[in-house]
This record gives sequence, structure tokens and C-alpha cells, in this order.
Amino acid sequence: MTRAQTDVAVIGGGPAGLAAALEADRLGLGAVILEREAELGGILQQCIHDGFGIHRFKRRLSGTEYAQAFIDQLEGSSAKAHLGAMVLEIQCPADDERVVYAVSKTDGMIELHCKTVILAMGCRERTASQVFIYGERPAGIMTAGQVQRMINVEGFLPGKSAVILGSGDIGLIMARRMTLEGIEVKGVYEAMPSPGGLARNVSQCLNDFDIPLHLSSTVVSVQGRRRVESVTVAKLDESRKPIPETEEVIPCDLLVLSVGLLPENELSRHAGVEIDPKTKGPLLDESFMTSVPGIFACGNVAIVFDLVDYVSVSGELAAQGAFDYISKGFPKSFEYDQVNASGNISLIVPQRLKKGRDSGKRSFFIRAKAPEKLSKLEFSQNGETILSRKLKAVSPPEMIFREVEEQGLGPVEAVLEGGAANA
Amino acid sequence: MENSIKAFEESFPGLSMEAGRDGNVVLSGSCRTWEEVVDAGHFAAKLEGVKHVASKLSVNGVPAPRKDYAPYRAQGLEKGKIAETDALVIGAGVTGCAVARELSKTGLKVIVVESLEDVCAGTSKCNNGNIHPGHSVTPGTLKAKLNVKGNSIYTQWAADLGFDLVRCGAMGAINDRRLLPGLMQAYGLAKKNGVPEAEIVDARRALEIEPGFARMGVEKQIVAAIWFPSMGLVEPYQVVLALAENAAQNGVQFMFETTVCGIETENGAVTGALTSKGLISAKYVINCAGLYADDITEMAGDPYFTIHPRKGVIAILDKERKPDFDSICEIYTIEYLKAKPKKNSESKGGGMCITPEGNVLMGPSATEIPDKEDLSTTPEDLEYAMGRGGVKYEDVIRFFAGNRAADYKEDFIIEMSKKVSGFVNVAAIQSPGLAAAPAIAEMAAGIVAEEASRRGEPVGANPSFNPKREKKVEFRKLSRSEQDELVKKDSRYGRVVCRCETITEGEILDTFDSPIPPRSIDAVKRRARAGMGRCQGGFCQIRVMELLAQFLGKDWTEITLKGEGSRILAEANRKGAL
Repeated sequence: MTRAQTDVAVIGGGPAGLAAALEADRLGLGAVILEREAELGGILQQCIHDGFGIHRFKRRLSGTEYAQAFIDQLEGSSAKAHLGAMVLEIQCPADDERVVYAVSKTDGMIELHCKTVILAMGCRERTASQVFIYGERPAGIMTAGQVQRMINVEGFLPGKSAVILGSGDIGLIMARRMTLEGIEVKGVYEAMPSPGGLARNVSQCLNDFDIPLHLSSTVVSVQGRRRVESVTVAKLDESRKPIPETEEVIPCDLLVLSVGLLPENELSRHAGVEIDPKTKGPLLDESFMTSVPGIFACGNVAIVFDLVDYVSVSGELAAQGAFDYISKGFPKSFEYDQVNASGNISLIVPQRLKKGRDSGKRSFFIRAKAPEKLSKLEFSQNGETILSRKLKAVSPPEMIFREVEEQGLGPVEAVLEGGAANA
Repeated sequence: MENSIKAFEESFPGLSMEAGRDGNVVLSGSCRTWEEVVDAGHFAAKLEGVKHVASKLSVNGVPAPRKDYAPYRAQGLEKGKIAETDALVIGAGVTGCAVARELSKTGLKVIVVESLEDVCAGTSKCNNGNIHPGHSVTPGTLKAKLNVKGNSIYTQWAADLGFDLVRCGAMGAINDRRLLPGLMQAYGLAKKNGVPEAEIVDARRALEIEPGFARMGVEKQIVAAIWFPSMGLVEPYQVVLALAENAAQNGVQFMFETTVCGIETENGAVTGALTSKGLISAKYVINCAGLYADDITEMAGDPYFTIHPRKGVIAILDKERKPDFDSICEIYTIEYLKAKPKKNSESKGGGMCITPEGNVLMGPSATEIPDKEDLSTTPEDLEYAMGRGGVKYEDVIRFFAGNRAADYKEDFIIEMSKKVSGFVNVAAIQSPGLAAAPAIAEMAAGIVAEEASRRGEPVGANPSFNPKREKKVEFRKLSRSEQDELVKKDSRYGRVVCRCETITEGEILDTFDSPIPPRSIDAVKRRARAGMGRCQGGFCQIRVMELLAQFLGKDWTEITLKGEGSRILAEANRKGAL
């Protein structure tokens, strides 16, 4: 066993973990990143398109450049990283001690004793079985992330003509990428009545390349016993059931899935962390601490973000949370004021605030349920409005990030309402 | 027989039944639906004096789709004779591999030919791994005789061959005293079949054995139960691979992507088989071809049974979804028994069970289909497999279909052809075929030995036969300190490739160190579990591909998902240019 000690163990060296480790270091804490891949940067390492860092760096960087900016900083800090180290288990033997077990080729079993843990494992993609595509199971069905890795990192084309199911951002990005690499993209099919990805990606990745987007449509089955030969698509009725008369067979040899991301919380769950069924991430408080004292979460393992800039913000918030927790002498149990979201809000993080907190600025990440023009976002507490903002438009793919000055006492109500009444 | 023919032709006007030798009949004519084809076959099989049913029935004049063997024949004839053996086993599913291993105990030289790229690549991989106790098969059938015996041999098999076997037991509980006669009837049937340790237990004892009743909050409903401790669970692909590897260690030769397209005979005795790779001469040919066993017996000139595929869809749940019960358990209510659909009556299985690795399986369904190669799933099949509720669709990580190789008698056919000596059919092996496999293999090998003795050339024994096969390292099952020691000894176990199932690079490389190494991504998955978890290879498939390409000395673009025609990549866009 390789035994080591630190203040903060950061699980995952993607954008969330990097930001968390750097912030922990800045606050004077010892931080160790455990990264399962051979290099830091996480999924950004396969993102060679631009658009990263508009908020943070006021520049349009590629994913790799964005990651490198943090990796460079990490090298100048006292934070350490174990690469190729897969975390197997988190234990909480004492109030001020957690033990993280990870295995790597170079260190064997690492037993890392730490005061706090920051979860930053990210998310994974939903698969064909998870969206219930019927028919055969041939080669030639891949998630958008797999296709991205194959083309951008490994240097291979996974097919010659593709149909994309789902209009999530990676799917849209890959529609453009595949087109540029000479793969014919026959169309993007989206089960919902509105696109799953950012408006700028629909415009830059589909419209600019004349790739048709079919809304309220889906792939119902796959044909081809060895390799994909065609897929059957159909329009969906209002209850999202396929309308048989609208079925159409599209010949293709590749079906690319961009049908949603799932936070990877198996490790969290086994450590006893309570999961919010809506975000599929840990239930978090204002310091991004989970239901297990001393374990924090940030990035896509907490809630699936739209922009990496916000992922970095969440990492820094979690590190600040870890710092406060250690400074306050490892408090054991907490009571909470709830953050109650209503109206057009589908997800909100944090979901609750610790009782006895100081008053001050809180960061909230919100996703809307449905696209709406002219909306009003209002936060209130103890009968007082503490924030009111008019929004020109909201849509589920675009996360709403707001800092709210709150009183430090009592539950918070968050309401998002759309329509002309808010004009 | 004349009455039977009359009865058939009255019930199915327009169709005809022709009687051959020994109670074998041939059906011909045109039906309106596939359902009618299957009904006619089943009806004929139940008539007095009918031993086997060969069906030439078509649907509106269109015969059931069949594999076209002509291209394989052309390939094979071009190559000429390529090998000579004593025994040729056709098919490397559980039956073929078990038979081959059994024959490897004898002095016979054995070759196994398989049309797919790997062992356990067809029907055998698509079942829920139940080692049934033998309590519900019809007494007097081959199924009944071999199921109970096969089940009892599994303990030795698991110990010798190094695969996981969990004796979880099976329980059938009732919630109403009025169902007691039914329970007693089930007990009587089990006793008749010779199921060991079967017992009727009262509610108190049932709750002791099965803590799931309390977990589910139904303990007050339980009145009594029937308990079969011998029910077991295995991972079917582990069993088949273990059998094949052990057979290979004992001298059996395996040939993959080799399709049999002709059976050679001379003076009423088999002399070999033509395959897509060439002619293999053999004194004994054992037909373990599963769904295609009827094609093979027809090639031998003895087409006396027909395989009608029955599709089963199984859903695999995320490991986080724990099973309702510790045993294979069903609570029978009066409503349930009334509502139980008839369509599943010929096939065992169904409901919820768990794999030794800890995934809950739902299903399988049972749907008669005309096309043996049709492995497509449908919403209806999945709905059936998911059962009576209580399981969320969002817990499904994968669902797939397999086709059972059923004949119309719905019993195993294990016998030497009456027309062609040395040609042995081991056919129509459907559930409980996995449970019965050890006994099926013994019986088939016995038939070969008997024929050999009759010919005056007894099979003898293989003096160096070794029944043991070492189990490979399973990192995930070791303690932290054992894992640490393992990585210190061999750092390749320190790199986790499949994160969902915690499978290391070392374990994937270990699969290559085998007499039957993997040749496809799915073959690695079946051996090492990489890609079997919730992300279904989303992260690890590329890494597995890299390791497999290295091992096979192939370019990435040549790597297949499951053999010929299933390449994963089209071409290189960068590496190719470098």
C-alpha cells in the first residue's frame, strides 16, 4: 500500500477537479488529484472545437487550450496529481478523516488519508439500450463522445454515412466534425420539440452545414445484423409515441447517439452520499457539500453543466467549502433550509442551505423546464424579494447562473416564470 | 398412425401429414400465419404414435427463411480435404463444448467447428444462466431425465472448471390456502422427476430461508412454499468458455468461422463434413448445431425434425438495482395463476433472477418467429420480459434477444441417426439445456462410445486427461491488500480499463493467454467483463480495441464487434496518413 495524507482529495482531474485543486492550493490546503486517465483535462482533451472560456478568459479557446491553462497553473502550485489512478472506494472512519482507495500501475494501491474529498468524476453518456432503441445490435452504434474520441484523438473514422439521434451539444459538435472529415451526416433526430443543445451550436454546426434537424422525431429501430445498414425514424405524437405512418428507413452505416449525460455517482452512492433524483447528482448545500460531511461535489458529477466556465466556478466553490469545513473544525451534523424551486425550473443547485450560515452571496445554477421568451427569475426569502431579473429568453440547454445576496436565515424560494406578463 | 393423420388433416384443412419410419411425420402445405405453422407442428407432435415432426409448412406459399449454404459449399469444395479426425463436433455452444470436453476424456481425436467467430456466440450466450432443479419438466421426457442429473454434476464442474456457481435455491410461495393442492402437485412432480431435497415448507420456515419476503413487506401474505435448494445460477459464457478451454487443453482442436455445408456419408455411415474451410473427414459427426441442427441432419440425408426458433428477450439491470429476493422466488396468487399467459408455457425462465456477478436479469420473453437469424428486439418483447411491474425501465442497461432451438416435440433429441451410422444428433436443446448440459454430454459421448464398440474399435481413454482448468485473476473480487500485492507483482493489474465493472488491463491481457483467445470485442467482453457495465463500453471499448489489435497484430480498422462483417471503424483519418 502506498499511504499518503492530504487535506483535500480531488477525485477526477477534468475541469472541475483542476479548478477545485487549484483553489484549494490558493487557500493554503494540500490537494491531491486522483485521475483515472493517463493525462489531466478530462473530456476537454478530445474537444478540439472552440467556444470554451468565453466567461473566464473572455476568449474562445479550444477545450484542450482551456484545460492546458489549468494544467500549467497546477504545475506551478503545490497540488499533486496521480495519473492513471482509479478510485475504488471512499471510507469515512472518523469526523476529521476520510480514506480514499485508488489503484494505479506505478503506485499499486494508494491509501490516501484526507480531511475532505471533492467529487469531480464527471458524467457518462446514455446508451442505445437506455433510450430504448429496438431492432438489431450490430457494429456501428456509438455515442457522440466515443465518435469524438475516435476522430479527434485516435485518428479513425467510425463510418461513412451517419444519422445522429439527439441534439445534445456533443451530437451537434460531432455533426459538424464528421461533415468536415468527409462523413455524410444525413440528419439529426430529436425526440423533444426543441433542440437539446445550445442555440449557437444549432446555428454553427447544423445550419451552416445544411444538416437537417428533425424535431419531435426519433430512431425507433436499427437494421443490419453485423453492421448498421439503416435506421428507421418516425415522428412522435404529443405523448412522445412514434406515429407509425411517418416511419421512414434511412440507409446509413453509423448511428451516433447524443441522448443525454448521466452524472457518474456510483462511487458517491457507495460512500453514503444522498442523490437528488432530479439532478442525478448529490444533494448539495451552499458550500457544495453533499449529505456526507466532508465530502463535496462539483462539475458534471453534481449537475450536468452547459459551459465549462461554470464547471470551473463550481470546482472553486467546492474547494472554498472544503476550506470552511476544515476551518470550522469538522462540524458533524447539520440542519438545512430548503431551496424551493417552482415555475419553469427543472433543476437547481444547491438544493439547500445550512442553518446557521453567514449571510452573503450564494451561487445558484438553474435549468429551465421548457423554452420561454421574456421570463422573470425571482428569489425570495422570509417574504422579501432578494433578487429579481428579467430574462430575454430561457431554454433547457442554457444553464442560468446567478449570484444571490441572501440573509443567511430561512428557506429560499426560487421562481422562474415566462410569458408576456413579465415583459 | 392413420387416426393421427386423420385428426391432423381435420384440424388443419388444406395441410397434409405424411408418416415416415418410426413414427416420424412430415407436414406440408401452406398456412396463413406463422402462428398457424407453429400450432400445426405442436398439434402433430402431440398425436398418438408421432415421434418427431419435420415441417415443410409455408406461410402463404413462402417457406421459412433458411441459410443459403451454396456459397460455403463453393468455398469448401475449392479447398479440398483439410483435416482428418475421429470425432467432429458441429457447434461451439454449451452443448458442443460440453460434448467435446466429454469426448476429450476418450482416446478419440476431436475437432469442433463453429460458424461464428467464438465459442458461446449464439443461443448459449443469450439466456439467464439458470441451473434449474428439474422440478417443472414433464416426467418421462429426456429433459426431465437429464435436467436433474445435469444440475447435480454442476457442483463438480464449477470446482474443476473454475466458473462461478451460486446455489441460490428456488422458492414458489403461495398467499392463499386454496393454492395448497397446487403446491402439493408441484411437490409430487418434483419427486417424480427425482429433484433432490425438494420440500414443502410452512410460512415460518419460508421466511427464514427467504429474507426477501420481509424486505418486500409481504411476509404476512405467505402461507406456505415449495423450496428447491438445488437451483443454481451461472454466467453461461463463463461455463462455455471453461468447457472449451479445458477441452482444448485436453487436445480438442477448435475451428471458428467455419460453416458446415455438407455431411459426407458412405454405405450408410458418416465419413465427414464439408465446411466453408474445406473437407474434414471423420468417423463420427456430432450435430450440436443448435438452431441449424435441422439443416445439418437434412445434409446427412435424415431430415426427421424441424427447429422452430423461439425468441427470448432479456433485460439486464444496473447492479445498483438489487434483486427483490435472494432465491429465484415467485409468489403465486389465484389472480396470477389465472392471468398467466399461455405463450410462455413451452419455455422455462421468465421473471426476475440475478447473475453471480450481481446484475438482475428480467425475462426472457417467448415469441415464435420464422427467421433463425432474427435477433431484433421489439417493445412488446421487452415489456413481456420486464414482468409484472416493480422494475423501472431506467434501471435497464442493456436488452437483447436470443433464439431458442426448439423442435415440435419440445424435448431434447439425443440419438444416433437411424439412417446414417456414426452421425449423432444432439438437437432441440432448449431450456433446461444449460442445466442439463453435463448429462447431455455424457449421453452423447456414450452413444459415440457404443457405436465405436459396435464397430470393434472402442474409444479407450485419454491417459493424460486433466479435468482442471485454472480460474483467472478477478481483480474486483480481491481485498485491497490482495489487490495491492497483485499490482506490485504485475503492474498491468494496476490500470483499470473498464471503470463500470473494475476490469484491469491485466485481466484483458489474460484472456489472450488461452487456447481459445478472443477475436472480437464481444469475445473480450464475455471473457473479461470489460464493457458489460452500465456504460456498455462507452469508455473502454477503444482501449479494448487497442489491446486486441496489438494481440491479433491487426490494424484498428480490422477489429470487429462480433466477427465477420461487423467492423467497428471505417477508415483511418490521421493515423493512416502518418
